[in-house]
Amino acid sequence: MKAIIAAAILGIMLMFAAIMMREKKSVVTLAIILLALLLGVNIWDLTETAATAPQAYFNNMLRIDRYSLWFNTLMTGCTFLYLLLVGKDIAKVGNHVAEYFALIFFILCGLYILSTYSNMLMLFLGIEILSIPQYILSGSDKKNLKSSEASLKYFLMGAFSTGILLMGITLLYGATGSFNVASFSFLQADTLNPLALSGILFLVIALSFKVSAAPFHMWTPDVYDGAPTPFTAYMATIGKAAAFLAFLRLFQASFGSLGSRWMFILAIITAATLLVGNLTAVFQQSVKRMLAYSSIAQAGFMLFAVISINAAAWQGIIIYSVAYSVATIGIFAVLLKLKDYTYDGFNGLAKKEPLLAFVTTIFLMSLAGIPLTGGFMAKYYVLYAAVQQGQLLWLVIFGLLMAAIGVYYYFRVIIAMYFKQGNPELNSSVTIIDKVLLVITCIIVILIGVVPQLFLINI
Amino acid sequence: MGIYEILFWFLTVMAIGCALGVILSRNPVNSVLFLIATFFAISGHYLLLNAQFLAIVNVIVYAGAIMVLFLFVIMLMNLNADVEPQKSRLVQLAGMIAGGVLFLVVLAALRTATLSSLDKASTDIGLIKNLGRVLFTQYVLPFEISSVLFLSAMIGAIVIGKKE
Repeated sequence: MKAIIAAAILGIMLMFAAIMMREKKSVVTLAIILLALLLGVNIWDLTETAATAPQAYFNNMLRIDRYSLWFNTLMTGCTFLYLLLVGKDIAKVGNHVAEYFALIFFILCGLYILSTYSNMLMLFLGIEILSIPQYILSGSDKKNLKSSEASLKYFLMGAFSTGILLMGITLLYGATGSFNVASFSFLQADTLNPLALSGILFLVIALSFKVSAAPFHMWTPDVYDGAPTPFTAYMATIGKAAAFLAFLRLFQASFGSLGSRWMFILAIITAATLLVGNLTAVFQQSVKRMLAYSSIAQAGFMLFAVISINAAAWQGIIIYSVAYSVATIGIFAVLLKLKDYTYDGFNGLAKKEPLLAFVTTIFLMSLAGIPLTGGFMAKYYVLYAAVQQGQLLWLVIFGLLMAAIGVYYYFRVIIAMYFKQGNPELNSSVTIIDKVLLVITCIIVILIGVVPQLFLINI
Repeated sequence: MGIYEILFWFLTVMAIGCALGVILSRNPVNSVLFLIATFFAISGHYLLLNAQFLAIVNVIVYAGAIMVLFLFVIMLMNLNADVEPQKSRLVQLAGMIAGGVLFLVVLAALRTATLSSLDKASTDIGLIKNLGRVLFTQYVLPFEISSVLFLSAMIGAIVIGKKE
């Protein structure tokens, strides 16, 4: 609760403080300090909340438990890492540096709402607070036509999907007479109202759009490719993880008892997402666009957590969010150093910058799901949840097959770095600080892979 | 048939007829005008439900501000000419079938839906006093939190709109 207020206030403070600041660099420093403060507030929240039953706040608008607070803390930590790694590059995007950082604070505010909401109104507000800053950030490079195109496309399609979300909420309200998420669990399969079923269908569509699941993924490659690279890194990681937790909360806590009604639809969506994401990523020439398709593929794996209605799924989504976010932020930080985003741009990187090539290899191996990296444990947890659920064995086997395809396009980058000749051009020299930060990121990725319990300790 | 029923049917026919006019008319300016008429009809329905505040706000915000803005944009950009590129037949057909199937499924599902019967006694929930009380007690958190949403939208207008 404190974190929601702190995120909003610190964002506003940042904008006002920036009026006095001439240097872009000092704005970046200030943003990092304020985010550290926000992380502190999150930890304060966490230590104050006992591990008892969830607490309801504001007439049941929010329902706060240790799980959601721990998720918030981890995601804020990832954002902190992100700002440390790419803060300088954000300052290069345009003139409104303070506003970009303020929008990132507001995205975090939306994330805090989505991880604790207990009312459909709060779900709607959280989704919108999460999305609107993303529309703006993707269009922040105004001189680039592709950035403007990405922003407009994202905005129009996002507005449309919000309409579908509202339609679903309305139908559910008609069926139950309540916005309260907890009261939807009264919906029993035998006395089910068709209004509620149509409402659930609309919510599946709208939330699938927000997490870029096929066949509602059309916006993802263009938006992630067109948006300025530092912001793509943020949208593809923390923004997506927040939408996934909202998805999971709604479909497990509220519609869990109706699982048999919607599970098959979501299973098909999951299969389609895995297939489209992985197969299309194989044919990309630009690494940035490949990462956009790979983010669709990773969304497919995260959907496993949504469809398997059990406790393991909740652990899975937290591990997956952190492992995927940290590795993706790392790889985008490396990408920002390079001038050429195609595979050829990586040729011979191992000779020129051995450390950069090494950490990139670790990040890519994590995304591919090689053991001893975070990605492996993340995939293990979500697939374990699906196996435990029992009815989805065919989907698990299909997922493993698709993960094998994923290895191909991730390793193409590694092959380019180590086995091909070339002289990659760098945007800026890699400083000692960059190296230390990248190594820390790398250590976190390996830590998740070796002791994942460390990241589940506070639930 | 009392005055209430007559008004109800008049407003219903007006709302549905004008809504059809929005999507069927070729000229965008006509579409916008039809949409304004639809909003007025819906506002009339709100009045019949004893929700005066909602009715007035609907007219002021939607019909007054947003639709006039739409109209200005359409006129300024000279979109009233039929310049929109036509989609190919195949795409039109695919869209029609997909939309039609969705319509059929939802209709078939909702046909069997049962709604709890409406309470016919008049309530005062739509009056400003009661609305305000609910807004500042039960729904105070969404009410306050929406300020973050509007603030980020304003920042967006400045970041995207300002000349560099």
